[in-house]
Amino acid sequence: MTRPRRLHRLMLACYPRAWRERYGDELLAVLADRRSGWRDLPNLLAGALDARVHLRLRPVADGMLLAGPSLPDFPPPARMSAGPSADEPRYGVVASTPPVGEMSRRGFLRRMLGVGTAILSLEFAFGTVNFLWPQIREGLGAKFRVGTIADVLLAEPRFAQGWPYAYNPARTFLVNVPAAKELAVGNDVSLPDPAASDLLALWRKCPHLGCLVPAPCESITRYQCRCHQSTYNILGEKMFKGPAERGLDRFTVLIEDNGMIVIDTSQLTQGAPNRGREFLDFDDSHAWDATCGVE
Amino acid sequence: MPTEDAPIELGRFAEPAVLVLVSLSDGPRHGYAIMTDVEQFSGQAMGPGTLYAVLARLERAGLVEAMPSDDRRRPYRLTAAGNAALADRLADMDRFVKTGRARLRAPDRGQA
Repeated sequence: MTRPRRLHRLMLACYPRAWRERYGDELLAVLADRRSGWRDLPNLLAGALDARVHLRLRPVADGMLLAGPSLPDFPPPARMSAGPSADEPRYGVVASTPPVGEMSRRGFLRRMLGVGTAILSLEFAFGTVNFLWPQIREGLGAKFRVGTIADVLLAEPRFAQGWPYAYNPARTFLVNVPAAKELAVGNDVSLPDPAASDLLALWRKCPHLGCLVPAPCESITRYQCRCHQSTYNILGEKMFKGPAERGLDRFTVLIEDNGMIVIDTSQLTQGAPNRGREFLDFDDSHAWDATCGVE
Repeated sequence: MPTEDAPIELGRFAEPAVLVLVSLSDGPRHGYAIMTDVEQFSGQAMGPGTLYAVLARLERAGLVEAMPSDDRRRPYRLTAAGNAALADRLADMDRFVKTGRARLRAPDRGQA
């Protein structure tokens, strides 16, 4: 005997228990012979509903299952009746209380009312949770799809030379780290194919009081906050100048298989605290440019 | 067990019931064999859900009975009542066909 398919057992499970005990094995055999698949699902669901509503089977003493009496409000049978002759009463058996295992019309309605209430409650609960579930598509917390490296180079051609790309939707400087390090000490390189680990997404919100940190000027390769002159090197590390107590915060960056750069602003890493010049990743030792950032 | 005089409602299963009865009229068959046989002689596919809705009703009405089987495939056969009911039904349909044919041939057809 082959093991019944999961789908077949699932479909059989829709039938009432008494029905399954009587016809279940046969039906599984039929479904197996037929190599039945999803196409039989509607038909079997209709059959299961019919069995639950119209065919109330119940166990009898000798272990076989016989059909119980029908509900009293069914229309009288048409032709094919093998029941008693026409002048005998047809509904004599059915009393006001249905036999054991039988469901009364009232019981059926009551159960349907319960089922309906349960479905409505579930819908309501699902709707509520769905409504309250965070659905961040923009602003802080969203995942920003910046574009490919090629797109970035189109928007900021000097990205390969190490200039940060100001990506405004995420208020972020995207930094090509190896190139930026060279740029900051005055070397002219071109590294147009950085890996994800070479990318840095610096949040442009100054950790001091939250001003938007402007892009570096041409003259020096540092970020200088206009509000209180907090100064960061090109990797976002805090330099000596200014009141901020840590470097720029950074978001997680990754590159998808298709080359799409994604900035995940739900994952924020705080910038390193000020620890002195010798702890900087590198020191570009530029002088402070008083004209930079002044309109 | 006072269940035998329950009325049989075939309802929307009346037509498939005739198909099943006809299929069983030339010998016992199990479920899948009934389905393929019905499809072959009537051209109508019958789903397994429909088949067992019909079989359960016919068995309850005493028109067919399940035969003992050690296989999962349980064969069914017509009872005497089933034979009579089928003959009855076919006679009905025969009358119906004859009436229809006669009216179709009638010269004043199409005039109300």
